[in-house]
Amino acid sequence: MTGSEPIILLVEDNEVNRDMLVRRLQRAGHKVATAGDGEAALTAMREQHPAVVLMDMNLPVKDGWTACREAQQDSSIAGIPIIALTAHAMEEDKHRALEAGCSDYATKPVDFPDLLTKIAAQLDAHH
Amino acid sequence: MLTTEAVSQLRPRLSLRGRLYLFSGAILILFAINVGTSLWGSFARNESLIAYQEAVTAAQLTAELEQNLQNKRQQVLVLATLRETTDEPLDAAALGQAFADLEIITERLRQLGGFGGEDLEAYYRRLHDSITALLAEWRQFYDGYNEAMPLSDVESAVSYNDTQQRLQELDQRQSFVAVQRANAIDATITLTDQITVIGFIASIAITLALVFAMIRSTNASLTRMKRGVERFGSGDLTYRIDAQRDSGEIGDLARTFNDMSTKLQTAIEEMNTARADADSANAAKSMFLANVSHELRTPLNAIIGYSEMLQDELGDGVQIDREQFHHDLATIIFSGKQLLTLINDILDLSKIETGKMQVSREVFSPAGLLVQVCDALSPLLLQNNNRLTLDIDKDSMRDMNSDRGKLQQIVTNLFSNACKFTKDGEITVSARMTEDALIVSVADTGIGMTQAQQDRVFEAFTQAESNTGLKYGGTGLGLAIVREFCAMLGGRITLESQPDQGSLFQVTLPADPTSAPAGA
Repeated sequence: MTGSEPIILLVEDNEVNRDMLVRRLQRAGHKVATAGDGEAALTAMREQHPAVVLMDMNLPVKDGWTACREAQQDSSIAGIPIIALTAHAMEEDKHRALEAGCSDYATKPVDFPDLLTKIAAQLDAHH
Repeated sequence: MLTTEAVSQLRPRLSLRGRLYLFSGAILILFAINVGTSLWGSFARNESLIAYQEAVTAAQLTAELEQNLQNKRQQVLVLATLRETTDEPLDAAALGQAFADLEIITERLRQLGGFGGEDLEAYYRRLHDSITALLAEWRQFYDGYNEAMPLSDVESAVSYNDTQQRLQELDQRQSFVAVQRANAIDATITLTDQITVIGFIASIAITLALVFAMIRSTNASLTRMKRGVERFGSGDLTYRIDAQRDSGEIGDLARTFNDMSTKLQTAIEEMNTARADADSANAAKSMFLANVSHELRTPLNAIIGYSEMLQDELGDGVQIDREQFHHDLATIIFSGKQLLTLINDILDLSKIETGKMQVSREVFSPAGLLVQVCDALSPLLLQNNNRLTLDIDKDSMRDMNSDRGKLQQIVTNLFSNACKFTKDGEITVSARMTEDALIVSVADTGIGMTQAQQDRVFEAFTQAESNTGLKYGGTGLGLAIVREFCAMLGGRITLESQPDQGSLFQVTLPADPTSAPAGA
């Protein structure tokens, strides 16, 4: 990565939730890019090389699990950490996300300070 | 001797009791044969003893008779000589003695006649004739002894010699017959002894063969039983004993065991089915909870997220953008209401599932209700820029007796679905009444559904696609509730749809379920 400020890519199809998280992340001092579906997320990852991806799993066009697996296959973006973000709160949902290649997992409603900690951990781990 | 093949052919036909009877019967028959031959043998020995005794007695009698005759003849000859020389008469005592002697000879002859049977009959008859003649001559001699007249011959020489010869012949014949009888009896004794020995050996052999056959066949039956019990016991529930191969008690036992196996198998299968049902009901419950959790979290995410964000913004001390603030609050309120709707839907569904949902009937105007619902929901049309056509056949419409609240919810759910899945299109709500039913349709020109999606769309928490809720909102409970309400009101709902061609939901409800069933 270059010395420029790291970008966080937020993949979320629900406008209300996307808007809310973008504003909160920006207020926390992050530079945020967005995508509305799994396919757009992969494109954005290739083009913008975000430092961390926050990915909702229930996505139109291409769901989060598929997008994660495809990201693992693409060597140019395979190293980008993905934090799964979903309203599925069961233990097996967590396993399912981690198996798909996610680095971490957060449930909705988002515990924002906790999410910031997880983002920071991923940034530290990869820089 | 029974061969093993013959025994194995016998096996299927004979019951255990039959086998035991056969076994006992065979041994009894063998025993009886042995006893019979043994009796026959001892009878023959007895016969032989009697025959020897008779032969000895007869020989003795013959010898005595011969002796008597000899004595008497000498006496007669001496007397005859005396008479000629002395001419002295015999006194009465001597005469009496002489006649008594003759009587003894007669008696001996009579006794001898009791022996011998047919074989000796002719010999005896000749001897009898000869002795009778001799005795008559002697009797004549004694009668005429004291007479003065001269004696004729004491006897004709022929008579005595003849008698002597006849007696000898009889004696020889007696010996011959006795030897013959003895030979015959000896042969019989040999035969019965042989039969007895053979009988015993055969008895032992047949008894051993029967024991062997019985052990073998009974053992085979019991082995089949044992194998069946073991196989079934180790979990092979479909295994049945080959009961055809056994008749009688063991066959009955095998059949009874098979019956029991069938019943047990049925019971176990029923139990497994019940357990599978319970498991799948449990799984459905878990699924339901997971879905509820998911659905509740989505609006809560917005509510909590926006509230925290507004709280942070207030704490910053930065100038508040009042318009943005108002919009954010509206988002929170909208999400809260969505949450409330969701909770109500879940409660409704739960009530329906537990059978606690009540139907409260009243008489009302369905036309009025439809107009009212469409009015109240008209703001939804604006979201996706849709137009509404309300087509109520006023001529056919009249009051109906049903649950007003449930009809209102049915129409509300169908209407809001149509608004959700249609963009820049047309939504048509139409209603008419037949003789006994109200028919309401909600048609749209929206995204429609494939056949597979139509098949699932009335199930709780199921939307056409797993991401439909996120894309279009909704809980996936609305149509499930609509279907349940229709059923509770005695009606039904049908769906016609094609992808990108829109959907048509048609509800048919009985106008008055107390008077007549809903039209088909």
